[in-house]
Amino acid sequence: MDGTSHAAGQAPEDGAGGRGGPVTPVSGAGGRRSFDGDGVFRALVTGSGIAVLALLGGIILVMVTGGMKAFATFGPGFLVSSVWNPVTQHYGALAPVFGTVVTSALGLLMAVPLAFGASFWLTQMAPARLSAVVGMAVQLLAAVPSIIFGMWGFFVIVPLMARYVQPTARHWFGHVPGLGALVQGAPFGTGLMTGGVILAVMVTPFITAVMCDVFASIPAVLKESAFGLGATRWEVMRNVILPWSRKAVVGSVVLGMGRAMGETMAVTFVIGNANRIGWSLFAPGNTIASLIALEFPESPSGSLKLSSLMALGTILMALSFLALAASRLMLGFSGRREGKR
Amino acid sequence: MSGSAVSGRVMPEGGVPGEAVAGKPAISVRNLDFYYGELKALRGISMEFPTRKVTGMIGPSGCGKSTLLRVLNRMYDLYPGQRATGEVIFDGRNIIAPGMDVNRLRARVGMVFQKPTPFPMSIYDNIAFGVKLHETPSRSEMEGRVEDVLRRVALWNEVKDRLKASATALSGGQQQRLCIARTIATRPEVVLLDEPTSALDPVSTARIEELLDELKKEFTIAIVTHNMQQAARCADQVAFFYLGELVEMDSTDRIFTAPRETRTQDYITGRFG
Amino acid sequence: MSAERDVSGVTGRSDGWKPHGALAMRRRFMDRLATGLSLAATCVALLALCSILLTLLVRGLSGLSLVTFIHSTASPGMNGGLANAIAGSVIQTAVAILIGAPLGMLCGIYLSDYGRGWMASTTRFVSDMLLSAPSILIGLFIYQLIVVPTGHFSGFAGAVALAILALPIVVRTTEDMLGLVPTALREAGIGLGASKWRVIVFICLRAARTGVLTGILLAVARVAGETAPLLFTSLGNMDWSVSLAQPMASLPVTIYQYAGSAYDDWVQLAWTGALLVTLGVLAINILVRVGFGRKGA
Repeated sequence: MDGTSHAAGQAPEDGAGGRGGPVTPVSGAGGRRSFDGDGVFRALVTGSGIAVLALLGGIILVMVTGGMKAFATFGPGFLVSSVWNPVTQHYGALAPVFGTVVTSALGLLMAVPLAFGASFWLTQMAPARLSAVVGMAVQLLAAVPSIIFGMWGFFVIVPLMARYVQPTARHWFGHVPGLGALVQGAPFGTGLMTGGVILAVMVTPFITAVMCDVFASIPAVLKESAFGLGATRWEVMRNVILPWSRKAVVGSVVLGMGRAMGETMAVTFVIGNANRIGWSLFAPGNTIASLIALEFPESPSGSLKLSSLMALGTILMALSFLALAASRLMLGFSGRREGKR
Repeated sequence: MSGSAVSGRVMPEGGVPGEAVAGKPAISVRNLDFYYGELKALRGISMEFPTRKVTGMIGPSGCGKSTLLRVLNRMYDLYPGQRATGEVIFDGRNIIAPGMDVNRLRARVGMVFQKPTPFPMSIYDNIAFGVKLHETPSRSEMEGRVEDVLRRVALWNEVKDRLKASATALSGGQQQRLCIARTIATRPEVVLLDEPTSALDPVSTARIEELLDELKKEFTIAIVTHNMQQAARCADQVAFFYLGELVEMDSTDRIFTAPRETRTQDYITGRFG
Repeated sequence: MSAERDVSGVTGRSDGWKPHGALAMRRRFMDRLATGLSLAATCVALLALCSILLTLLVRGLSGLSLVTFIHSTASPGMNGGLANAIAGSVIQTAVAILIGAPLGMLCGIYLSDYGRGWMASTTRFVSDMLLSAPSILIGLFIYQLIVVPTGHFSGFAGAVALAILALPIVVRTTEDMLGLVPTALREAGIGLGASKWRVIVFICLRAARTGVLTGILLAVARVAGETAPLLFTSLGNMDWSVSLAQPMASLPVTIYQYAGSAYDDWVQLAWTGALLVTLGVLAINILVRVGFGRKGA
């Protein structure tokens, strides 16, 4: 921990360099007969550990100071104002926060059943060889860069939403009181729901991977005991595996939420980019990340607009770091590591 | 050495090992081979498990005794690459044939494992879980059933005030008795025990052994054990396995006093294994 | 208690095999339903992957030619390629790995062999959190940290942003892999009189080198496809430029800029670039997962 004191031993002239730890002679190093390799190395690795901590600290510091101007100008009103007007220089965070929350929620709503089903099938039902191949394919989906999801969403999913999904939804729910408001609007194809669909496809493999790890780590005897009573695979999953891994399963979902909230490129393509809050799930909107990506080019350094974007970034940071920290705690960041082997 | 040559006791009809102890067989095994992938783990096993008797299965590690147990309720189905050939007749059907309703089978042939395996739920729910799989008892019936089985495993007095508490908080011996209660609560006909006391202290072991004596009045029991004294104390008949073969099976008395095979003698006198 | 229990198993209790009516039917139905639904869920995920790959192949392959690799991006109708974007992506990814991988390995060593107590667990926690941190925040961070003080966008700033994204992946795999090195190997090294750092660097790290390399390759695959952090750091460059001090093109940013454009040849170029990026990233992933037989971080 006391990296600095050890770093002092780095100086070759330091006569006491070899004190303590084993002395390692370094051949061909001129006059340096020995140096405290262990001390230097310890300092080096400890320093890099500190660097990682400093990195997080730096990110938080830079984001908060960057957004300071906006927070100072608008005060707490920044959080509750839904105006985003570069002409009047008035900015508020409510609409993008709303969009972020809604798209993430919609995405999770679709992703969680998919991920649960996929991991149930992969770990409990699929033959081993098939499970390995399909599992890898699902993981490849997680490796696809987010911009590719964006393009795919824009050129494949958006037309589908415009032509089939929204008209169908309007046909069935358009006149149902309450639900009707959710499906109103012109069928652009872009919008909150489309963003949710893309997010669902993106985070499903992440949640699936964690759930598979969790489900696979359940002791075989526990499963066998349940099967031994005559339970079906579904009953074993519902009554034994799920209760046993409940906390980690929730952790995996929260991890997916953290991912979904911070996702930028994929959502930017399909969200429609409108600074609005409304009931319709099919109306265009924006998210914190998509607004930052789209507005950044027109935000000169030092401007109030850039500061507002940084302030939005701060909010996003708070939201996603909270989710990620919570998920790590629930997954047990050391337990899962052991469970993997 | 082929399975049928062993001990010369395996006769075609009516003379398979197991009739040494009187009683009609609950399960009869005929020419059973078992494979873990390419590896042949059981060779030509033929034996019978008499109804409402305790059959002890002994032998060194890896001799196939646990494997046989896992055939009797088709637990091996859970793992790809494991398969059995031959016949295992239970209640008039070959249970290792395809098309078997394994869930029904496992309800009728219960199993208790080496380590206690309480489910992550309350004591009450641990027992109710298995019952609810196969029946729809009313609340009071279920409560009666839970109390009944807990009394039979002598656990009732220890847990009656905390039935809703988590089962994982019980001690190892209590957990194992709970697992036995859970198994008999579904009213199986056969109970398989795979070294049920190897993870327990001597006191808990003694209680489980007493329990076996009670249980055999009602269930056909097959118990795998490493502990020769346990086999001698609890079993009516004992089967000795070695390298995937059934070497010898006879009444407990005869196995321990006058085994026919030298390998049996060597094993029970501690010369190997 | 045994009074109500029908004594069984003696002779063929033929009704014993019959499932108990409605309950058994319902159980079987539920099991089938769950099986069917979970298979369907798996298929949806596979369908998405197939749809993405197919779309990329159909739209991207037609624009792929030698020109793609030797011409830089150009005005619409000028027969431009992606040479500058490919070079920019390779350079920025390489520099990012050169910065991120050593730091990540050191930190991984710290966590596996040196770290104790709250500081180590905090570091591990933070690193795991950074693993999933929104990449757009990293972009804003580096923009404020490097771009604003230096006064201009640069390939170097982009590389540093990518390095931050690569770092936690390498930390995680290094620690995991060093943890798998048998204690006996360490003791053998110490027993020979080697100092701790030599044992770690020359014995443990060497024993774990496949795994550590896996982590580095996964980091390459992750950062090579990143767009958001580069928007604010290396910005993009229409012309050929390999100077780290200048704004630098990259495949993902070029895809982003061209995909939404009104010119057909630009959109075509975006698809071709998307195909290249995806094939590259997936190839690395397949290599890692099949070649090294590992599940990945």
